[in-house]
Amino acid sequence: MQHYLYDGTAEGLLSAAASIIETDPEPGQATLAVRQDTLFEEGLFLRTEEGRAEALFARLGEVAPDARHTLYFFMLAEAAEKETSLLHYVALAFRYGDRVNGYLTHDAVREVVFLSRKAGRELQRMKGLLRFQQLQDNTWLARMEPDHNIIQPLAHHFCRRLRAQEWFIYDAARRSAAHWDRKTLTFGTLEQFSNPVLSGEEKAVQAMWQSFFRTIAIPERRNPRLQKSCMPVKYWKYLTEKQGE
Amino acid sequence: MDIEEKLRILSGAARYDASCASSGCGREGPSRRIGNTSRAGICHSWSDDGRCISLLKILLSNDCRYDCAYCVNRSSNPVPRASFTAREVVDLTLEFYRRNYIEGLFLSSAVLQSPDHTMEAMVRVVEILRREELFGGYIHLKVIPGCSSELVRRAGLHADRISVNIELPSHASLQRLAPQKHKQAILEPMALIGREIQTSLTERRTSRKAPRFAPAGQSTQMIIGASPETDLQILRLSQGLYRTMNLKRVYYSAFVPVNDDNRLPVLAIPPLMREHRLYQADWLLRFYGFSAEEILSDDAPNLDEAFDPKTAWALRHPEFFPVEINRAEYAALLRVPGIGVTSAKRIMAARRFCPVTPEGLKRIGVVMKRARYFITCSGRPFEKPDRPPVMLRERLLLGDGVPETPPQPRQMILSGLFT
Repeated sequence: MQHYLYDGTAEGLLSAAASIIETDPEPGQATLAVRQDTLFEEGLFLRTEEGRAEALFARLGEVAPDARHTLYFFMLAEAAEKETSLLHYVALAFRYGDRVNGYLTHDAVREVVFLSRKAGRELQRMKGLLRFQQLQDNTWLARMEPDHNIIQPLAHHFCRRLRAQEWFIYDAARRSAAHWDRKTLTFGTLEQFSNPVLSGEEKAVQAMWQSFFRTIAIPERRNPRLQKSCMPVKYWKYLTEKQGE
Repeated sequence: MDIEEKLRILSGAARYDASCASSGCGREGPSRRIGNTSRAGICHSWSDDGRCISLLKILLSNDCRYDCAYCVNRSSNPVPRASFTAREVVDLTLEFYRRNYIEGLFLSSAVLQSPDHTMEAMVRVVEILRREELFGGYIHLKVIPGCSSELVRRAGLHADRISVNIELPSHASLQRLAPQKHKQAILEPMALIGREIQTSLTERRTSRKAPRFAPAGQSTQMIIGASPETDLQILRLSQGLYRTMNLKRVYYSAFVPVNDDNRLPVLAIPPLMREHRLYQADWLLRFYGFSAEEILSDDAPNLDEAFDPKTAWALRHPEFFPVEINRAEYAALLRVPGIGVTSAKRIMAARRFCPVTPEGLKRIGVVMKRARYFITCSGRPFEKPDRPPVMLRERLLLGDGVPETPPQPRQMILSGLFT
């Protein structure tokens, strides 16, 4: 049983997993963790190799496209110490192909599949709950603080949907942003964020949405518990219809 | 009247329509200026009654010549009346869509002059959205019973889903509560839509350029609890609609008393539990291979409020159980209470690697507190076999200890009477 270390980047993680699977005779027994640089740390450090992460994704895509999809969302999910599960999962995926996702009785598979499903669910939720505001210069801004790092797939969804308007999506928890200028999509980070000025009609449209939201509920069926379980309170901060509650 | 006032009146009048689905149809492509639809559907918010909001659900007008007993917009009610122009609906839809508030539009209407006149106005809104604004989002359009088949065809060419409300579960109730509406006028467009959808699907198999007709299918809705039909009658009706009319969904809407009318029952609260059980039974019809006659019988024509319909079926059929998890067919797994479509598929997939253990069942997501009484795992039961049915009922109802939630009050509470 061999213990491996890597530098803590996403690129490094996949690169390390790729080289373990190629060289270690029993990747299912190996463990992988971030190097902490303490004096007594034991384990073999694997240097991040350029291009190895993409190669792993490409190779996995050939034998197990579903597993590749799962792995992509697992990489977006925020979780501590997920390295060893990832390593075992990828090793199993190369052995069994897409059937691996059915192997839910295996601990590593279960962790990877369930966590990637969590990130996928939040992406689906955010596709609905993201709210754009029109700014003075006729661009649009949406803010969010999701649990998982889903800004990339989310931005791709909106550049198909809101193709004809220039917009920004800002992840306030990670200070990352996506920008669509009606032709290309770019990603970056923002160090400073100041509240921009809204367009003249923005407040009026928001007020209409708020009044629609109030009247569409049937008073005799009021059910705040159900509402909160479908739409957790942590997302209310940026919801137009939930401002001032 | 300003637009916000209109929106308040016309969304308040539309809220009793149950359908809010935005699924069943994917549309992509640069030919649309704004919007697409996703096959899985997207919910954008949840209102204070816990129902999802994915569409801008409004009436074009609530000015009605009909006087249906159950309806808030009936002509004898003194409610404020309003009508949108086509442009107003289009602008509202687009402004909301740009801000990602909604997935699209759900448009219905009251009938003032004639069904044709109203339907024409509604189709016009949809045609502006699709042709002039090149809107690619989701559109659900109600069909007004009694309108011409030409208008139904135009509606189906532009909307993703179209629906005709069946309103009440029987012809007799329709005559009593909505005397101006006729069963034939409702069933005819339903059958027409069913045929058109079928034709379009067949044509599209040979040519991808053939026009799509209501690609997200057709649905309908009925009010539960305003008339004396049993659950068996209702489920038989739904089963018939699914089998013969090719419907995607039947919606059940618990009767909310909005009018005083001596033709209507007096209820303290809407029959929400009954509605919930009907939806569960509806799922059994569509995804679990049950028939209405298996779920209910003429001796017991109503669903048990204490148990979900699948557990109730399992309690009546002890000879079917226990089901062996590692050998049973998919269809048999589906009949076990606590195992749904997802769990059954996962069990089938996991079995290919190694036998599923009790621990594995939990990980897969099987609800063991119900399933444990009905299964064996590699020959081993979870509970002592041959438990008398009465005891089983009790254990299923109460769990292992005390009941989890106190029973809901079913009696009307008159506030202020005793305080």
